[in-house]
Amino acid sequence: MNSRLTQHLNILDYALSSLWRRRAKNLSILIVFSWVIFLVASFQLVTQALTETATSVLRSTPEITVQKMSAGRQIEIPIDFSRKLAAIFGIQEIVPRVWGYYFDEVTGANYTVMGIAPGRMPLLDRLNLSLEEGGRYDQGSRGKVVIGRSIRRIMEEKGSTLLSLFRPDLSQTSFEVTGVFKPEVDILTNDLIVMNIDDARDLFAIPSSMATDLCVYVANPSEVATIARKISEALPGTRVLTRSQINRTYQVVFGWRSGFASVCLLTALTAFVILAWDKASGLSPEEKREISILKILGWETADVLAVRFWEGILVSGIAFIVGCTLAYAHVVFFNASLFKPVLIGWSVIYPEFRLVPSFRLDQFLLVFSLSVLPYLAATVIPAWRSASVPADSALSGM
Amino acid sequence: MKRLPARFFGRPVHLLVLVLVVLCCINVAFYALGRKRLTAQEKNMELFDIVTSGLGLTDLCVATEARYTRHPAVSDPIAPFMDHPGALEHFPTGSFWAPPPLDTTAGEQQ
Repeated sequence: MNSRLTQHLNILDYALSSLWRRRAKNLSILIVFSWVIFLVASFQLVTQALTETATSVLRSTPEITVQKMSAGRQIEIPIDFSRKLAAIFGIQEIVPRVWGYYFDEVTGANYTVMGIAPGRMPLLDRLNLSLEEGGRYDQGSRGKVVIGRSIRRIMEEKGSTLLSLFRPDLSQTSFEVTGVFKPEVDILTNDLIVMNIDDARDLFAIPSSMATDLCVYVANPSEVATIARKISEALPGTRVLTRSQINRTYQVVFGWRSGFASVCLLTALTAFVILAWDKASGLSPEEKREISILKILGWETADVLAVRFWEGILVSGIAFIVGCTLAYAHVVFFNASLFKPVLIGWSVIYPEFRLVPSFRLDQFLLVFSLSVLPYLAATVIPAWRSASVPADSALSGM
Repeated sequence: MKRLPARFFGRPVHLLVLVLVVLCCINVAFYALGRKRLTAQEKNMELFDIVTSGLGLTDLCVATEARYTRHPAVSDPIAPFMDHPGALEHFPTGSFWAPPPLDTTAGEQQ
């Protein structure tokens, strides 16, 4: 056992020396390989962090959301629809909401305006806990809003204390800011303006008989799917979204099928194919000569293969560890700054990303099997072909 | 500082072990820091529950440039291409976000 271990340590020593002899070439392969793995692993970690954040953070979304559709677009839904739904057994509460987007022409920012019916949404009475010190959310009063941190920043830059917004007819309406959301909930509230539902109707010029959507709360969570189906049957022309569908959306939207991911993957694949092609196209005359000399000195084919195997595993293994380490640092400590321009696009306001991927072995194994294993095959196979040729014939061809 | 014995680096394999140990230490430190952040995030779960329940939020505020990336869960499934007939998707975030699942009908299994 000891002699075999010693033999492999000696072979490892030889492989390291061999790598060092061709250090310029091997170092460039190591850098390119690490970069490819870094790119793939970074994307994997970013999407995983966003998916996991969405799953945990959005676990308390409304059980069912009902939207009205017309000509393929979402339109306002009549509040009367809630009367039709009241007959469905198992529905606990139906709450209309008015929400939409407000484009600030001065800054180019898009705000999300959320009009909430006072006293009807669960946990709304505890919303003060999510506000910075001194802030308070008064459900019943009109003309008052709580806002996300980016909107406060924009107001400070403008030097205004009141939040002034324009109605569709360009008349102005102003709101007193009574609270700002804490930075901890930035990932949900950064662009939010929360106001009374009647204020939101007034701002968007939505009639009092209409709402943007209906939030439906169900007494028994196991009946959500059945009740959603009944709602869909009772209200044709509506889209019924369940909490599980919302969660599933976030399992899908950050996936390998998005355009950016495909570009990343294709770049990595192309770089890897070039690398593997270089290796698989055969050994250099110098490498063939080295193998022949080793065989004349008494090395067996298995020993030569072991050297090549160790060389391959050292280069690809170290590149894998370095690439994954850099990817983790990139995502956790630099908040995926390389991907950020694509992730936020032209957004004027966006939260400070604090991405936290959990360590999942299967993710790393996927990257490992896509990078290290093919590289090993591309290294060992040409070495085996060369090592299986008799030494004297290999040397005579030099 | 006392120097390491010359024979410590006598063999290349010793240098390799040293490099691997350093990389392992860095990774363990990163993992510990990541766990610390996760724990901090878990402490805020009550706040997240209050905000999502109280306001009925359905989406993360990651990108605010287009409605289908601000609210992918509740926006129109084909929103990127419906501004006018033949419209092309032009927002940069549209390249990062894949389209949400098309199955938005009710009645699927939990």
